[in-house]
Amino acid sequence: MLNAIRPKKRTVIAYLAIPVLLYIFTVFVPLLAALYYSFFNWKGGPKKEFNGLENYMALLSDSTFWASFSHNIYLVVICILGQIGIAFILVLLINSKLSRAKAIHRTFGFFPSTISAVCIGFIWMMIYDYNKGLLNWFLDTIGQHEKTQVWLNNPDLVMFLVSIPLIWQYIGYYMVILLSAVGSIDTEILESAEIDGANEIQKARFITLPLVKNTLLVCITLCIAGNMKAFDNILVMTKGGPGYSSMVMALYGYKVSFEQSNLGYGACISVGIFVLSLAVIGGSQLLMNYIMNDKYDREEAKLQKRIEKERVKKMKERARLEGGKR
Amino acid sequence: MKKRLLSVLLSTAMVLTILSGCGGSAETAETAPAEESAPAETTETAEETKEETTETAEATESAEGDLAYTGEITYMHFSTSEEAEGNGGSDAHRTMISEWEAAHPDITLTQEVLANGDYKTQIATYAAADDLPDVFLLQGMNTISWVEQGLVYDMTDVIKNSPYADSYNMDYLVPFTVDNKYYGLPILTGGTCTVIVYDAALWKEAGFDEFPTTWEEVEKAQEYFDTIGIKALGFGNQGQWNLNSCFVSCLGYQYTGTQWFSDILAGTGNASFEDPEFVAALTETQYLFNEAGIFNEDFNAITNEDAREYYIAGDVAAYICGNWDCDYIRVNVDEEKLANTKFAVLPKAADATKYEKFQNIGLGYGFAINAKVAEDPDKLAACIDLGYKLTGPEFAAYVGENYALGGFCAGEFDLSAFSQFQQDFYNFQYVDNKGCEIYDSYVDGSVWGVLNTEMQEMVNGSIDPATVAADTQKAYEAWLGN
Repeated sequence: MLNAIRPKKRTVIAYLAIPVLLYIFTVFVPLLAALYYSFFNWKGGPKKEFNGLENYMALLSDSTFWASFSHNIYLVVICILGQIGIAFILVLLINSKLSRAKAIHRTFGFFPSTISAVCIGFIWMMIYDYNKGLLNWFLDTIGQHEKTQVWLNNPDLVMFLVSIPLIWQYIGYYMVILLSAVGSIDTEILESAEIDGANEIQKARFITLPLVKNTLLVCITLCIAGNMKAFDNILVMTKGGPGYSSMVMALYGYKVSFEQSNLGYGACISVGIFVLSLAVIGGSQLLMNYIMNDKYDREEAKLQKRIEKERVKKMKERARLEGGKR
Repeated sequence: MKKRLLSVLLSTAMVLTILSGCGGSAETAETAPAEESAPAETTETAEETKEETTETAEATESAEGDLAYTGEITYMHFSTSEEAEGNGGSDAHRTMISEWEAAHPDITLTQEVLANGDYKTQIATYAAADDLPDVFLLQGMNTISWVEQGLVYDMTDVIKNSPYADSYNMDYLVPFTVDNKYYGLPILTGGTCTVIVYDAALWKEAGFDEFPTTWEEVEKAQEYFDTIGIKALGFGNQGQWNLNSCFVSCLGYQYTGTQWFSDILAGTGNASFEDPEFVAALTETQYLFNEAGIFNEDFNAITNEDAREYYIAGDVAAYICGNWDCDYIRVNVDEEKLANTKFAVLPKAADATKYEKFQNIGLGYGFAINAKVAEDPDKLAACIDLGYKLTGPEFAAYVGENYALGGFCAGEFDLSAFSQFQQDFYNFQYVDNKGCEIYDSYVDGSVWGVLNTEMQEMVNGSIDPATVAADTQKAYEAWLGN
């Protein structure tokens, strides 16, 4: 019966080929095209001049690009702490026995992530506005007028200020992911811990966190990938300014490509973003795996390694002795 | 068997449908439903706009008589219906297009209309892909690079042999000239890029019957404005181009005179962005924005539209803008404020040695034809005819009679029929002051990108003018080298 309804192998392949081809067309073709154009001095139009690795050499010494990269890293760090950290705390609060109307918390928490980044940018510009913004109004109201300022024109603060809307927008997104992971933890484990006298913080640290570590890894990877390509809300709020103070790699690539019509170098920047993003994601995976493996796992691994070493040593010893007898 | 056939057909259809979405712009424009007055992107066909303009079209004939071409012409521009409400150039542009369409029912003019900011990105993308529409608006700063790429049709003979050649203001052709050849018909209205719009009543309260002629006087006036809690001047530079187009491009002439920028354009090495005169202009700019306390504190965080609202709300006594803001002011302020609103050039900087009453004016865009169109002489003739219509005497008459504005082609009208506001602005732009060039109508975006971005830091005081000048010169030399 099962064989009768199972489609033939080639039918399965034919259906799968559609998304695979689309994926190749929309992801790999542009990537390869960018790689190709990055070897040219190309200002747009049909004429372009092959210049080998010149664009890459320029990229390596382009201080604006590396400043943009450091801003992306700043975003990644602050958003991992802000988005996932706050989301995790909210998940624990929602899952606690004291919490009521969990569905409402979940729905409203998720709501900001459904709004476009451009709209979020405009909303937060109203908060930061010098004359009519909520932040300066609040400072005025509490008698701290001297602390009011043009927030988005402060080069020292601007990266932090453009990060806040990003954090606010995506807390709910990670909250939903983590809620589903935490929801799948067997309640008996948590109840056992309670009987053993564990408080809420201990339960979170020693029970919940290790059991959702794989989901956390996914969240961190998503967070890094999302922030390495940050673009739209920064474009709306500061356009990378003042000067280059809030410039990020994608915005810099866009400006070089379209405002300065330097498409060859723009393609080179795109390749740079791709490579750096892969490196950051790969590095973070290794780091997270190391951190998330708890002490017991590490000692277990060490013990296994020691046993294996002993076994090999004994086998060699035995082989040596047997050889000597002959 | 039937199921398999059906599934294969459906799959193929799906893939083709998706892939067709990546096709050329012309196809997209044809198949997309036309939406009148969409703010971001509008696709219109001749049939739709024809109905609106039948009356005006009856009296209109093509400059060249009947055209042999029948078929489609694609045209990309940024005169959206929203912009046409109050902007004389855009209104006249749309009106001329409608009249031309109605006069040539056998030609389908497929328009792709985007807001200006989106237009710049989109047209640059098309140029990069060598997929420009048949006719489009060429920004002055792109002329040299696009001509080098062979993207733009040489319009020298078109302009010289134009039936309206005698009426053209040839000065407007400079941004579209490469090696003494012309590549665009200057389009829309010639407008100033730097004008101080001020409330004469407020300045009278501060002790000035007219707008101050020196920056020291503006600083003195600020002492009074401080007492009533407003700033002397409003400015918005969030977009980064504003400080260049609407300030330095005019103030710079007070220090460098007119020859310096001509030498920059010539690229012969006789002028440099590191010349002491230009650095002095940057230093004065830094002082005025960062130390003098005469501008709104948030100038780097707001747009020019926001600064305009500050003026309308009375939060600033004057603001610096371009011609595009003036009709908005005329329509949106109350009668009393409108009567008090006057225009002035930038005051004299104390150490400027080449001061004149400069105001930078020009036509930043030219009507250009895709070089590929030349392969079809009939189509080329139709495109040229459209260009004549959009930049010729009918356009000039329309903007003159309705808005007291001028274009590439001279037009006569009765100025006294207009309000005092419009008469004053006409005289400001075309009669009373000395015109100078708008820097970023020329050279290249790679140079202005560096200057604009670094100037935003400079007016915060976090980078010195000499560094900005040196970096700009470096970008300029790189561009010359290319």
